[in-house]
Amino acid sequence: MNVALAPRPSVVTLEADPFVTLNGVTKVFGHGKRAMTALEDMSLEMARGEFVCVLGASGCGKSTLLSLIAGLDKVTSGAIEIADGRPAVMFQEPALLPWLTVRRNVELPMRLHNLDPDQRNQTANRLLSMVGLIDFADHRPHQLSGGMRQRCALARALAQDSELLLMDEPFAALDALTRDSLHDDLNRIWQETGKTIIFVTHNVREAVRLGDRVMLMTPRPGRVAQIWDVDIVRPRELDSFEVSGLAHEITAQLRAGAVIDGAK
Amino acid sequence: MERNRLQRILRAAWPRVVAIGILLGIWQLLVVVGVQSPGGEPLPGPGDAIAEIGYLVHTDVIVPALVQTLERAAIGYLLALVLGTLIGLAVVRVPVLRAGVGSLLAGLQSLPSVVWVPIATLFLAIGGQIENAVYFVVIMGAFPSIAMGLMSSYDNIPPLTFSLARSMGARGPRYYRHFIFSATLPGYVAGMKQAWAFSWRSLMAAELIIGSTASSGLGQILDNGRSLGDLPEMFAALLTILVVGIAVNDLVFAPLERGLLRRRGLVPA
Repeated sequence: MNVALAPRPSVVTLEADPFVTLNGVTKVFGHGKRAMTALEDMSLEMARGEFVCVLGASGCGKSTLLSLIAGLDKVTSGAIEIADGRPAVMFQEPALLPWLTVRRNVELPMRLHNLDPDQRNQTANRLLSMVGLIDFADHRPHQLSGGMRQRCALARALAQDSELLLMDEPFAALDALTRDSLHDDLNRIWQETGKTIIFVTHNVREAVRLGDRVMLMTPRPGRVAQIWDVDIVRPRELDSFEVSGLAHEITAQLRAGAVIDGAK
Repeated sequence: MERNRLQRILRAAWPRVVAIGILLGIWQLLVVVGVQSPGGEPLPGPGDAIAEIGYLVHTDVIVPALVQTLERAAIGYLLALVLGTLIGLAVVRVPVLRAGVGSLLAGLQSLPSVVWVPIATLFLAIGGQIENAVYFVVIMGAFPSIAMGLMSSYDNIPPLTFSLARSMGARGPRYYRHFIFSATLPGYVAGMKQAWAFSWRSLMAAELIIGSTASSGLGQILDNGRSLGDLPEMFAALLTILVVGIAVNDLVFAPLERGLLRRRGLVPA
């Protein structure tokens, strides 16, 4: 059994050329007296193909961090470097376009980048099979369940053919059973495709179940509290002894942080 | 199969049939009570009006008038559609325009289009050429709905849609084609539908007031009836105007809008 419970320093150097580098990332909203520091001096290096879960209570700035990495917002100071390409983003809501069928939604990024129809069609078929939606290719989003909509959003994000996939609490609105099966699928898809994933969540077990590393953030301002390596053999189960053990430890840390925050 | 289809049509039609029945009933009641014009002419009933329509068809009066009016409506509406779309797009794309033009459009929309009739008559209906004046009134009545429809549906696009487009790197014509046009379509069609109602009533105002003997439409028949004291003719024209307004809405715009919303899951299938 190989469970790493020991915390590691918050800046981890993994290899000579990291795939994603956050260097002293700070984000301040507003100016002067109304200024609010959302993120402060966050640094992290990620290897290609790594799965990092960013964990924190709501309002700790983890979604802000994600939108900075996605390029949807600009850092106040510090730098974010991604070795290649524009990251694909998956939001908490599926954000499917209601006027397009499932297949057309998945094809959308490829249309934007002018892929020829044959290639589009083949890729869409492959991705829809991968997420288990091939039989629903001609349905419209409103005809799908919540879990199926997120599967479609996942296929669409994969269709962007980006090495880096950013996921912002994508399964938070789903019921436990559906979430569990999506965890299995995401784990499998990550292993098949070798994507680099940053997965934001407030669910400790989810983070432990999915991540190579779990980064815990403190709230207001958002900082790196602690990073855990998760050396539990995959595929992991949500209620396994190892997952529960590490989740328990992280939860204790999360609570301690919350108390400190509340006492301020 | 055939029977099911018939049943479905009947089920969809009956509320309308009942509503029309009640309306005709009230009308007939007024006739029975003995409502009269101050000149002592009895109010014609629905039967009289329908018989009069038959007579006007037979004497070749109402069909040419209907064709003339529909032609004006179609041309005026299409011009309003083009103008409204261009203005709507400009307002959506240029933030400076939106502050100024946005509230102006709302004002124009609430302005009864009949107020344009005197101006149009004076400036455009020169030498009996009334068509330009009629088109002007129809355009002024209808284009604000189109522009407003486009503008408000753009405002209602969920912020997440913009984030999605940006995260996918959508830009330029592709951004407009795949995101903006499709997202604003339902509001645009709702604007088109409302613009039809506005253009139809503007056209009637224009025809009634600008009216000339040279080229007569439905509005002129109505005005003719008034000046000759021919009550059945007036009611025949009124009924025809009402039926055309409803028919265009129910046969063109309502199915277009319903189909669009159903495909997006916004109304039950």
